[in-house]
Amino acid sequence: MKRGAFQRGLSLFWWLMLAFLYLPLAVIVFYSFNSANSAAYFAGFSLRWYERLLNNDQLLDALSNSLTLGIASSIIALIVGTLIGYGMYRHRSRKLGWLIVLIYLPIVMPDIVFGISDMAFFITLDREFGILGPSLMTMIIAHVTFQIPFVALIVYSRFVGLDPTLFEAAKDLYASPFQRARHFLLPTLKPSLIAAFFLSFTLSIDDFVISFFTAGPENATLPIYIWGAIRRGVSPEINAIATLMIGAVVIAAVFSLLFNRRGHAGS
Amino acid sequence: MNHTSESPYPLARHSHSMSPDTRHLLWSVAPGVAWIVIFLVLPSLYLIGVAFMTNGPYGQPQMPLSLDAFRQLAGFGFLGWSPGNLYTLLRSLWQTLVATGLVILVAYPLAYYISTCRDKLRPIMLLAVVVPSWTNQVIRAFGWMNLLSPGTPLADAAQALGLIGPNMGLYPSNFAVTLGLIYNFLPFMVLPLYAAFEKLDMALVEAARDLYASPVRAFWHAVFPQTLSGLLAGTVLVSIPAFGMYVIPELLGGGKAMMLGNLVANQFSGGSNWPLGAAGALIMLVATFGGLYAMRKVGKRLGGGEEVVI
Repeated sequence: MKRGAFQRGLSLFWWLMLAFLYLPLAVIVFYSFNSANSAAYFAGFSLRWYERLLNNDQLLDALSNSLTLGIASSIIALIVGTLIGYGMYRHRSRKLGWLIVLIYLPIVMPDIVFGISDMAFFITLDREFGILGPSLMTMIIAHVTFQIPFVALIVYSRFVGLDPTLFEAAKDLYASPFQRARHFLLPTLKPSLIAAFFLSFTLSIDDFVISFFTAGPENATLPIYIWGAIRRGVSPEINAIATLMIGAVVIAAVFSLLFNRRGHAGS
Repeated sequence: MNHTSESPYPLARHSHSMSPDTRHLLWSVAPGVAWIVIFLVLPSLYLIGVAFMTNGPYGQPQMPLSLDAFRQLAGFGFLGWSPGNLYTLLRSLWQTLVATGLVILVAYPLAYYISTCRDKLRPIMLLAVVVPSWTNQVIRAFGWMNLLSPGTPLADAAQALGLIGPNMGLYPSNFAVTLGLIYNFLPFMVLPLYAAFEKLDMALVEAARDLYASPVRAFWHAVFPQTLSGLLAGTVLVSIPAFGMYVIPELLGGGKAMMLGNLVANQFSGGSNWPLGAAGALIMLVATFGGLYAMRKVGKRLGGGEEVVI
C-alpha cells in the first residue's frame, strides 16, 4: 500500500498549503471583530471598527477616488483597447510584430519601473510646462496604459474565434461602416466588452504600486489609504476595511465558479 | 501568430504606399499606440536618460552626462566605498532565487495532486489556490504582519526554539520577505504546472514501469521532462516580478531586508537622488528583458517548435 500512503501524504500537504494560503486572510477577518485594540489577543466580539469606518471621511474619500479612477480609466481603455484589438484582427496577415511587442510592454514592465517612470515624467512635465502635475488625471492616464493591452487581447481573441466569412456577410448586409459597427460588431463583441471592462476595473481597483507613484497628495485610493494606515501604526480599522475587501473577492470567486459551471453546462 | 491570409484586401497587402488598408490600420491602432508610446515608452526612455545624468543639489537630475549613478550603485560615494547598495542588489537576486526555488518545491506536488483529483473537484481546487492572490497585495502583506508580529503563536514558537530573541517578532526580516514572496507567487507556479500535469502522457510512465524502472527513475525520465515547459513558464511568471517586488520588502522587510525596488523608490522620495534611482530601474529593466529573452531561448530549445507561453 505504498501508493496509498503517497496519496495520503499529498492530501495532507494540500490541506497544509490551503491553511498557509488562507491563514493571513483569516487572521485579518478574525481580528476585525475584536473588541480590543490589539492584534495579540481576542477580547470579545464587536462591530465597533466597522462603525468607525462609516465615520471615517478620509476612507470614504479613498473609496470614491478608487471608484472614480476605476470607472474613468476602464471606459477610456475600453474604447482605445477595442480599436487596437480590431485593428490587430483586421490586419493580422501583416507583420505586426512591433505592435505585439508594444502591447506586451505594459504587461511585462515591472510595476515599480512603470510607476517611477511615469512619476518622473509627470513631475518633469509639471515643472517645465506646468501640465500633468500628479493628480487624479495622471493616475487615470497611467491606469489606462496598463489596461489597454488586456482589452486589446480580449477583443482580438474574440474576433479570432469568429468565422471570418461573417465579416463578408456583414459587408453585404450593411452598406456603411457605421451600420456594420452598430448591427454586427458591437452586438458580437458585447460579452467580450463587458468582460474587458470588468477586468480593467478590477486591475485598476487592485493596483497599488503604479497608483502610489502617480497619485497627487489628495488622491489616495483605497490601497494607498490602507498602506498609509499601516505605516502610521496598525489600527484595527484596517482589519475591518481589509475584511470588506476580502469579502468582495470571495463574492467574486463564488460568481466565477457559478459562471463557469453554467458555461460548462451550456457547452 | 497571424500569417493566415484572410485579409479582406488581398491585393493591398504588399503595397508600400499609403493604401486605404494601411490608413485603416493606422486609424484603428493609432490612439492606443500613441497612448502607450507617450505614457510608457517615452517616460521609460526619459528614466534611462536620467540614469546617465548627474545628481543636482536638490536631487534633480542635471547635465553633464556621467556614470556617477552606476558608480554609486556599485558603492562608491562621497565617503569612499560602502557595500550597502551592492548588498541590496545581491539580496534582490538571492531572494528571487530562493523564493522561486521554494515556490517550485511547493507548487510541484500541489499541482500534481490537483491533477490526480476528480474532474469536478479540480476547478474548485485551482480556484482555492488562486483566490487569495485576488486580494490586494498590501492586505496580504498586512495579514503576514499580523501573523509574524511579537506575541503571536508563530513568534512565540520561534522564540521557544531560540531562533529570535525575547519580545521580538518574525518581521521585519529577510525570512518574512521570503515567506511573503512565496505566498504572493505560489499560484503563478501552480497554474502552469497544473496545465503540464493535466496533459501528461501516462503511457510513457506505464512503459517505464513495465520496463522495471524504479519510481524515482520513472519520475525523472518519464514525468519530469513532460513538465519542463510548465516549470519554465512558472519560473518566468515568478522570478521576474519577484525581482522587482516593492510592497513585500517594504512592509515585511525593513531596512536590512531592502530589495532593488525599495532602493529605486527611496531615491525618488526621501533620498532624492534621481540618477541613482534611475540606474537601479535600468538594471531592473535589463534583468526583466534579459530574463524574458533567455527563457524564450530555453523554451524554444525545450519544446522544439512549440512556443512556451510567455
